[in-house]
Amino acid sequence: MSTLIVIDQAPYGSWAGREALDMTFSLAAFDQEAALLFTGPGVNWLRKAQQASEIGQKTVEKNLAAAPVFGIEAIMADRSACARYGLSEASLIAGVALVDPGPDLYRQYDHTAFAG
Amino acid sequence: MAATDRDSFTLVITGAPYASQAPQTALAFARAALEAGHRIDRVFLYGEGVHLASALSTPPSDETHWPREWASFLQAQEIPGIACIASALRRGLVDESEQRRYELSSHNLLSPFQIAGLGEWVEGRIKSTRTLYFHGGS
Repeated sequence: MSTLIVIDQAPYGSWAGREALDMTFSLAAFDQEAALLFTGPGVNWLRKAQQASEIGQKTVEKNLAAAPVFGIEAIMADRSACARYGLSEASLIAGVALVDPGPDLYRQYDHTAFAG
Repeated sequence: MAATDRDSFTLVITGAPYASQAPQTALAFARAALEAGHRIDRVFLYGEGVHLASALSTPPSDETHWPREWASFLQAQEIPGIACIASALRRGLVDESEQRRYELSSHNLLSPFQIAGLGEWVEGRIKSTRTLYFHGGS
């Protein structure tokens, strides 16, 4: 049974994306197949070298870098959303695969959950 | 996709009462599902949804008391209602043991809600035939 967690909200404005990441890591901790898709404003989570300490928060770059170690199968970013937000592949953190979300992608997972 | 004859559901509520419609929509769904002969395995409160389990919510008397509505439904139907511990502690929702652990001045978890980890959600995902999310929207 595999789960796709979709994060479609920009970082820092709410805790929903962060808590969706926790859900993904939790699935992996219980040996459940899990993958992450960032889409819409959510792709901004993946921008390299963010300085979240300026607003008293933590970036998720380290967490995401550790995702494969924890058994998270894929970190995917919506190609067209990246283009909209001016994110080239070079400006994304390592280990992100660009994808074109649609039925073909969603069909690969038994279960899809969006960040709240 | 049509529901099978008898589905079992895990309901995840991530929207707070009085900030969103999520708890009300979820309760209406839960009642309708039971009436149609399905089963609700558990209700999992996550993110802002944990506010539904506050024993201190005090809406004006002419408004529906969603925490109590949910609590009495869970009690009557013997359905476990679980608030995610990480979400709950961040937002000031604690039971007696967390009060002791963090040496807080009080506890405010409404019975029969319990506090537990995300593992409860993972288990629901595996055991229930369907897991539904009730979000607050943004």
